[in-house]
Amino acid sequence: MRALNRPWLLLVLLAPAAALFLLLTVYPLARVFLLSFAASDHGFEGARFVGLENYAELLQGRSFRRAAWNTAFFALVATVAEVLVGLGLALLLDRAFAFRRALTLVVLAPYVLSTIVVAAIWRAWFHYDVGFLNNTLRALGLDGVPWLFDPNIALLSIALADVWQNAPFCFLILYAGLRSVPPELYEAARIDGAGAWLRFRDITLPLLLPYLFVAALMRTLDAFKLFDKVYAMTGGGPGNATETLSMHVHRLAFRFFDIGLASAAAVAMILVAGTLGAAYAVQLLRSEAR
Amino acid sequence: MDNDRPAGLVRVVSAFAVAALFALPLVWALATSLKPSGEYVSASAALLPREFTLMHYEALADSRVWRLALNSLAVTLGTTALALAAALPAAYALARFDFPHRLDALFLAFVLLVKLTPPIVLAVPLYQVLRTLGLLDTLAGLVLVNQIYAMPFALWMLLGFVRDVPFVYEEAAAIDGAGLARRIVQIVIPILGPGLAATGVLVAIAAWNEFLFAFLFLQSPANFTLPTYVATRINEDETLWGQLSAIGVLASLPILALIGFVHRALSRGFAGGLN
Repeated sequence: MRALNRPWLLLVLLAPAAALFLLLTVYPLARVFLLSFAASDHGFEGARFVGLENYAELLQGRSFRRAAWNTAFFALVATVAEVLVGLGLALLLDRAFAFRRALTLVVLAPYVLSTIVVAAIWRAWFHYDVGFLNNTLRALGLDGVPWLFDPNIALLSIALADVWQNAPFCFLILYAGLRSVPPELYEAARIDGAGAWLRFRDITLPLLLPYLFVAALMRTLDAFKLFDKVYAMTGGGPGNATETLSMHVHRLAFRFFDIGLASAAAVAMILVAGTLGAAYAVQLLRSEAR
Repeated sequence: MDNDRPAGLVRVVSAFAVAALFALPLVWALATSLKPSGEYVSASAALLPREFTLMHYEALADSRVWRLALNSLAVTLGTTALALAAALPAAYALARFDFPHRLDALFLAFVLLVKLTPPIVLAVPLYQVLRTLGLLDTLAGLVLVNQIYAMPFALWMLLGFVRDVPFVYEEAAAIDGAGLARRIVQIVIPILGPGLAATGVLVAIAAWNEFLFAFLFLQSPANFTLPTYVATRINEDETLWGQLSAIGVLASLPILALIGFVHRALSRGFAGGLN
């Protein structure tokens, strides 16, 4: 017998989840898409259809281009750093020694904290006059760094805080990847006289590639949404040196009430994220086909 | 992997050093929450307090922050309960119904679509949705919008767990005349126990930490959750670090207490992460 092959039962079981999904995701996405072609200050009442005007205005706008550049730059820097640090951690903790699990949990701790708590700690650390980092630098006889004041450094400082919080996530994925490599491969390589570097380059790295890809993509998608950290650490400043796309959409919608323009910026964000996601789906299907 | 081979001395020392680096910001926060204000606003790079004080924690007890912690708790419990209640029947249906395999890819696409949608993109229309429902500035409204990410995540995790429950048990019960509801409550849920707990804890942590929706949809200070409160205080005064650290420590302790559990839940091959 089959568990349930009565369609109405299936519908009853799926109804609550489907209702939430339709109300909170499908409907808002459709609405944001439609409003991106309208001039509107809150909703459809009194909105005028303006075609692609919002998109044209958006692409000509300096602040949108700056936000897009900031977001891409941050996503790239943070992702690369997080995957590399995560890989280093995975390789370090990949041999048996006393307290290994305890160290694993210590390293994992930043990842489970609230982003706002992370931002509060690092904002204090980055304080120019009495922050922990500059105090330490000065104690070593060096100059303090204007971590959050210098427009050229501020985004990198935020990325540093992001690495502390999220490299552990990459570590978890890559550690699982390392465990999936059959030990016989290393044995065989040892018998053939391959040194540690060769074993890493010819065995570990190729087999780890799918895991590296997943970790990098997950982090890119997440870095792309960046809002909380910047809001709490710099508010987007100095000037708009750290304003991200999420903050830009927020400002257009909740400060200027230009819902049409905000919706166009939101749709642009979805298109970019969707492209990244499609790349991921293709990769997944490929690895399943293998 | 070489996982069970013993580590060399260099590797062990490096591992401890790196772990210490990762722990440092948390140690700093804990130490700062125990320092008198004059001591942490100084040019000293000393980490440990010269004199311990509980003043920042006492100040918290006197303030209304503990009521905000209750808000956070209510949102967390509500979000988790609703996500599991909606996701469990759906996961059961998807696992037990004879679907063509093509639909698996479709479901994966759905989970991915949700994961890659930035919350700010949905925030603008959601504001309207909540206003229409009369749920703006309410904890219930926040519980509802948290489902955007919580429910698909729970569904994704539970689907794997339900598939691991052997159908044979249910068949036996069905022959004895047990209906679907009874089979789910008496057979599936007890076997799912650990999986439900793992899913619930991950959903709860994400809800406890959530900031953006709380910041946008809760306007009255009395309704704030802990992250929104911390965010407003950060911008008020450059160096309220004792107070902020104390709140940060209190907001992080419940999660850190669960970290062993979180590690196991996340290591089970689930690569979706918390957020």
